Amino acid sequence: MANPKLDLLQGTLDVMVLQTLRAIGPLHGYGIARRIEQISGNQVLLNQGTIYASLVRLQQRGWIAAEWGASDNNRKAKFYSITRNGRKQLTADAAHWQRLADVMGRMLAMSPGGETR
Amino acid sequence: MRTLLAHITAFFRKRELDRDLDQELAVHLNLATEDNIRRGLSPEEARRDALIRFGGVEAAREHHRDARGLPWLDSMLQDIRYELRTLRRDAAFTTAALLILALGIGANTAVFSLGNVFLFRPLPVKDADRLTVVAVQSKADSDPDQVSYPDYLDYRAHSSAVFTGMTGYAISIVGLGYQGHADRLILSYVPSNFFSMLGIRPALGRVIEPGEGDAPKSGPVVVLGHSYWEKRFGGDPNVIGHTASLDGTAVTVIGVVPKEFVGPYNLVEMDGYAPIGMMGFGSNADFFTSREDHEVRVLATLKPGVGIPQAQAALNVVGQRLALEYPHADQGQRVRVFSERTARPEPAAADSKPLVATVFLMMVGLVLMVACLNVANLLLGRAAAREKEFAIRAAIGAGRRRLLRQLLTESMLLAVGGAVGGAILGNWVGHLLNGLRPLGDFPLRLAFAFDWRVFTYVAGVALLAGILAGLAPALRVSRTDLNLTLRESGRGLIGESGRHWLRNGLVIAQVAGSLILLVAAGLFIRSLTRAESIDLGFDPHNVLNVSLDPGLQGYSQPRAEALCRELLRRTQTLPDVRSASIAFSIPLGYYNNGAPVYAEAQAPSPSQHIPGAGLNAVSPDYFTTMRMRILEGRAFTDADTAAAEPVAIVNQTMAERLWPHRDAVGKRFSYTAASGPFVTVVGVVHDAKITSLLDAPGMCFYVPQTQHYQSIHVLQVRTAVPPESLAPAVEGLLRELDPNLPVYEVMSMEKSLEGANGFLLFKVGASFAGALGGLGLLLAVVGVYGVVSYSAGRRRHEIGIRMALGAQRGTIFRLVISQAVLLLGLGIALGVAAALGVSRLLASLLVGVSAHDPITFAGVSGVLMAVALLACFIPAHRAARVEPMAALRDQ
Repeated sequence: MANPKLDLLQGTLDVMVLQTLRAIGPLHGYGIARRIEQISGNQVLLNQGTIYASLVRLQQRGWIAAEWGASDNNRKAKFYSITRNGRKQLTADAAHWQRLADVMGRMLAMSPGGETR
Repeated sequence: MRTLLAHITAFFRKRELDRDLDQELAVHLNLATEDNIRRGLSPEEARRDALIRFGGVEAAREHHRDARGLPWLDSMLQDIRYELRTLRRDAAFTTAALLILALGIGANTAVFSLGNVFLFRPLPVKDADRLTVVAVQSKADSDPDQVSYPDYLDYRAHSSAVFTGMTGYAISIVGLGYQGHADRLILSYVPSNFFSMLGIRPALGRVIEPGEGDAPKSGPVVVLGHSYWEKRFGGDPNVIGHTASLDGTAVTVIGVVPKEFVGPYNLVEMDGYAPIGMMGFGSNADFFTSREDHEVRVLATLKPGVGIPQAQAALNVVGQRLALEYPHADQGQRVRVFSERTARPEPAAADSKPLVATVFLMMVGLVLMVACLNVANLLLGRAAAREKEFAIRAAIGAGRRRLLRQLLTESMLLAVGGAVGGAILGNWVGHLLNGLRPLGDFPLRLAFAFDWRVFTYVAGVALLAGILAGLAPALRVSRTDLNLTLRESGRGLIGESGRHWLRNGLVIAQVAGSLILLVAAGLFIRSLTRAESIDLGFDPHNVLNVSLDPGLQGYSQPRAEALCRELLRRTQTLPDVRSASIAFSIPLGYYNNGAPVYAEAQAPSPSQHIPGAGLNAVSPDYFTTMRMRILEGRAFTDADTAAAEPVAIVNQTMAERLWPHRDAVGKRFSYTAASGPFVTVVGVVHDAKITSLLDAPGMCFYVPQTQHYQSIHVLQVRTAVPPESLAPAVEGLLRELDPNLPVYEVMSMEKSLEGANGFLLFKVGASFAGALGGLGLLLAVVGVYGVVSYSAGRRRHEIGIRMALGAQRGTIFRLVISQAVLLLGLGIALGVAAALGVSRLLASLLVGVSAHDPITFAGVSGVLMAVALLACFIPAHRAARVEPMAALRDQ
């Protein structure tokens, strides 16, 4: 079965999750959601619940792994960590997003006369 | 791939994963709440904020499930659960639809099972797909038949370019004695390569090995059939190595064949196998040398890559050479190669089988079509009633595709239910057929096993039925304008006329389809009645047949003759016996004897084909008992003893063929060789049907039993009372004479005429076609009734108004009936036109009745019209009794 097409928002969320896990290491769902909110400067309006659909998707693709463990204050929580395949995927995705962002940046920098500033 | 696996696992571990997720979400909310408290919110505020930022726990769960599992399967299961609930609520509809589909699919299953036996299932032998049957036609227009042994050897020797092997078998009824007890066996005499070529390994002991017993009077061994071994020896392995007697010759039991190998002949399980050389001990000493004696059923395996046309061409060359070398026997003979499956049960069937198969598959196809149309119509009616439900579902966001899928789910569910019912029904019919014993204890074997071919077929048919039946209503509903439907406050008037046309059209098609079925059934049944009234040339009524074979009990010829004389004498003294006689064979039975005939002083030229004639050895009263008229000369008498002059009685055809325009009585002929010995014709008897019901009688002659001894005897008794009632008395007489002598096939002559060479095929054809026709009639009546009563129900309001305005009940009754008449009339007209077109296909399968027989066409049209109208009296009557006020108030 083909994976359902991710719309842009879904796609970005997946990349954000992967990037967070690579940068910070194993985290539980709440931690990931908080971190994304913090990094984005609370710019993204994130329904924290949607993160779990993203997590299970990434897990099924083998890009992240999950394990029940203990949190800081000794609570049982499910911790996610990025896998080797996940890192590879992230590198590819990051390049893609970087290019898209560059192009968008250049497009939006276009002045009314058609010249780039 | 791994992802797919993960999705599927997730689907089946739903409960576990849900629990896991719930736990995780709880942890999430707790952590968020604690963070909020740390930021200074009150516990309630903190919890509330956490929940808001989480954004809907249920939605998160739903998303999680969709992301991890198989959402389409989930919604399919949902549809199935939903539809099962609705179907259960609408029990009347569900029962009707299931029953109709089960009947349609059941008929298909039964016919396919039959086809499986005769066409599809391969023999359990090596290279079954390349196995062919080689048969010869002695004249251009005769049926393909067995091959003579010397010819078989020649074909085998000169066909190694196209066949990897050629073998054969000669079926014979023999006596097998073991420890003082004799059994009558169906046995195959086989060349020594038989088992190795077919790749049959013994279940026990060994089988006949290459080189064993090919020479006449050699190979005194016997291999037992598996069922016979279990039945007779209780499956005792110690029987191997013991001595038994085969028609009086001592043989060693060497092995047992595996259970799945029931023999090379499709309809009969072999009880045993013996080397072909053993035939040398039998009465037929000419077997190994005579090219006129056609007894070998030849099997050959094609070389890989060689087709039947190539093999045919190769054998044609051999055949032409044989015709030149042995013109007496082989001139005009044509060799044929068939795939083994087309040549079942006999190569004679091969030429007409594709036609028969096509006709019956078309008929069941029609039954299925009518059933599907019927269910589609029911579904349409139901969909109309559910229009508002669908409109509401569409309004709250169900996609069109989802609705369509739901409707198809419904029809598929019905189809699956119908398939299960149909498979059960079809299997039951199969079992009925399995229990069919057309002829006494003749071990006819119709193994209707439920195998994967039948299963695949049924499943495919059900799938097709589901899609066909569901498509029309589903498309209709999904196209309905939901705004209009809702606005019409659920009266569902939109597209009313359009839908009526669709429903009416479906009913008309059903009626037409049923009419075609009924025409076919009618033609087959008329054909049977015609066949039954054919002049047989003998009178089969009030005759009892009893078979016995004293040879099985080791009777010598004089002892057997004494027994028969005494048996005849005592039988004639029984009350209600008119006359009694003994013959070797009965007309249209399972076996016959034949011989080449040479008229005296008409020496055949070297290149002339020697004609063959049927031969029966009979006792003096035979012609009286059978009521066959002696046209000239005399019947046999007690004076025609073994010591007297050898005599014969010939039939009209033989008299005219051998001595055209001359008096046959007094002439002499030989049935051994051109040089004699000769027998004198003492009488000419009226032609009778001996070997085939339909073919013109061939040459045939009778000799006195005293002058031509054969061990097999059929006692025939003409009675003044129903013949079966005398059976106990006759059997009692035989027990008095010899309590150990087995008797078999005790039945009336009329009953024995129902055998394979008699009316069996007509009966089977007529009952099958009749059953399918009856099914078609039933389905058409149900369909017409359904639509008429549905539309009468929808017109209740209108009828109320009409009656309020003064319409009489009779007028209303006629109004409803006239709709039925219109539908039936159109359907029947269409059906008649189509039937006229296709019934030509049947022409060659019919006897004495034209494919366009006006009586049949008019008769079945009348029956269909009458029965369907009778059913429509119910809704018409109901409509006519509508209380106008009640009907108007309802709105």
